[in-house]
Amino acid sequence: MGIAVVVLFVLSAILAPSSVSQGAVLGMLPFASILACVGLGQMLVVQQGGIDLSIPGAVSLAIVVVSKVPNGDNSVLLPAILLAVLLAVLAGVLNGILVGWLKLNAIIATLGTNALLFAVVIGISGGSPTTTTRLLQSIAGGLTFGIPNSVFFAVGAFLILTILLKKTVAGRRFEAIGANPVAARATGLRVRVHQSAAYVWAQLLYCLAGILLAGITAQPTAFQGNTYLIPGVAVVVLAGTSLLGGRGYPLATIVAALFLSQLDQFVLAVGVPYAVRSIVQAAALAVGVGMYTINWAALRARLFRPRVKAPA
Amino acid sequence: MAAVVGVAAIALTACSSGAPSSNGGGSETGAPVAGAPDWCGPNEITLGLLDGFGGNSWRKITTAAGADEVAKCPSVTGYEYADGQGDTQKSIADIQGMVAKGVNALVVFPDAGEAMLPALRSAFQAGVVTVPYRVNPGGKDGVDYDAWIGADFTTDGKNWGDWIKTNFPDGANILFLSGPKGNSQGEDELAGMKTVIGDDSYKFIGEQPFEPTNWDPAVTQQVLTSAIAKNPQIDVIVSDFGPSLVGALPEFTKSGRSIPALVTSDGNVLGCFWKDNEAANPDFKMMTVATGNDNVRLAVQYAVAKATGGTLPDTTTFDAPVFEDSVSGTPNPVECRDDLPGDIFLSAEMSPEDQAALLK
Repeated sequence: MGIAVVVLFVLSAILAPSSVSQGAVLGMLPFASILACVGLGQMLVVQQGGIDLSIPGAVSLAIVVVSKVPNGDNSVLLPAILLAVLLAVLAGVLNGILVGWLKLNAIIATLGTNALLFAVVIGISGGSPTTTTRLLQSIAGGLTFGIPNSVFFAVGAFLILTILLKKTVAGRRFEAIGANPVAARATGLRVRVHQSAAYVWAQLLYCLAGILLAGITAQPTAFQGNTYLIPGVAVVVLAGTSLLGGRGYPLATIVAALFLSQLDQFVLAVGVPYAVRSIVQAAALAVGVGMYTINWAALRARLFRPRVKAPA
Repeated sequence: MAAVVGVAAIALTACSSGAPSSNGGGSETGAPVAGAPDWCGPNEITLGLLDGFGGNSWRKITTAAGADEVAKCPSVTGYEYADGQGDTQKSIADIQGMVAKGVNALVVFPDAGEAMLPALRSAFQAGVVTVPYRVNPGGKDGVDYDAWIGADFTTDGKNWGDWIKTNFPDGANILFLSGPKGNSQGEDELAGMKTVIGDDSYKFIGEQPFEPTNWDPAVTQQVLTSAIAKNPQIDVIVSDFGPSLVGALPEFTKSGRSIPALVTSDGNVLGCFWKDNEAANPDFKMMTVATGNDNVRLAVQYAVAKATGGTLPDTTTFDAPVFEDSVSGTPNPVECRDDLPGDIFLSAEMSPEDQAALLK
């Protein structure tokens, strides 16, 4: 994945130099940061062999809460953020119970949760969030040392997650349970708790993404989270995390988010028609996913095995 | 359900007197209602207002404007509202449901365009006064519905083009942002602009006929970031959804350039953004056309007049007027109510305070 990013930036510099100009990169990084947060959340769920399709509702709900509740009043921003976090925890617990405890199919259960989250979105906003407070615009949308602030939030989330996942006993248990739930249960690990917890942590990351997106766009819609469903899953797969569960790769997930965001910028800069942009993005996803999910060795063996001479 | 609607339609037809399109007084004008506008006739009616998608600020304010206009006529003794929630099938079912309930007049925002035409025709033929507005569903006045109240968007484009020509007489590089790829609103607007600034000195840069943004603020921001990086000179931005730009325009500042001139539709958040930024951005002149919430008022007047026997409005066209011009100050300088929400529209007849109350 790292090589792919380097190749993409080199191609960008050669074919569309404007896409790696300072302005373009500063414009791309906030969206890469948001996608990274969403991807890290999805990664945790996928590590448990699940999948979370409630990203659109979760991101949109966070946006609506932090824009509608303050209604332009900076002093209400902190309570609004706390409310958004609380709702995210509740949504995560709901997903966790449905999938981890009741063993419902993750795709169906999280789609149902997504519908409920959008019901709350419409209940709070009537479909129209208001302008983001100036405080959140400056916190999420501003620059520090010339770098978009959202990058620092994404890196912070990455560091916390990496430390918890890779450097703690709880994290290693989490990965072990994802790799083989049956064996994990046999050794006495609490499988259901960890599977459920994955959905809660994921919701907190989606909530962070939503809050950042509200600040970055300043005038978001109530359905702003819709565009993150497919990319959120794609970055996880591009990063090499198996959809069957097991180890997660936080750094590769972040790099994949950077790759997809720069790809968007590159395709825009080349100036091809909208339809071609969509095809290029789909092709990149197909190639990336194919690299990790197709058994190339077996395929090669089948195609090129020596032909057995027919008996005379 | 279809059978029930069919029976109801037959029943309604049987109750009608004369031609299907006449209802109550028809084109005859009865005695005016004391204290009411002349489009309010004496016959008592129920009116239904229907949205294809009611879930954003613009629609809320437009719907409230419709209800406000209805309230001016005491002959409208019943009022119903339905929101299609962006679902074409629900929008169609909403129309059928209203007809089944026995409303006398329908005012419809046919978001799905021509897909709505059969349902409109069915209501019209059942004897219900049927008035689509703003989005043209195709079909013909008097055949498929009573009248379509609106205008194609070439007028907006022409207004924008006139302003560009006045302020950039020697030509300009113009970036045009609109909604989904292929949407007819964007195409009409471009056609309108080209009637005024069609010569070679006015260059439209970026994807043609317009840069698609899906009217999504995040996509708008990404498209604009890329356009800024690619084009050293952008003199004018044209956008048919101005408020979506407020998160994107600072990309110019981040790139070390002045925000360029902007022609678009109005929104309080945009007026306030202009006031906050014009001092530091010498090229940032702005002109807006009214975003057009009050189109619904004209549609309501027409429907009520037709159904109650009032005087029909003298036009079925609703052209959104120019609203703000930061250069000439005519008809208005840029307006901003920073004590009120950004998503109200100061060009609407409804007072800013009443609009703000709707969005709480």
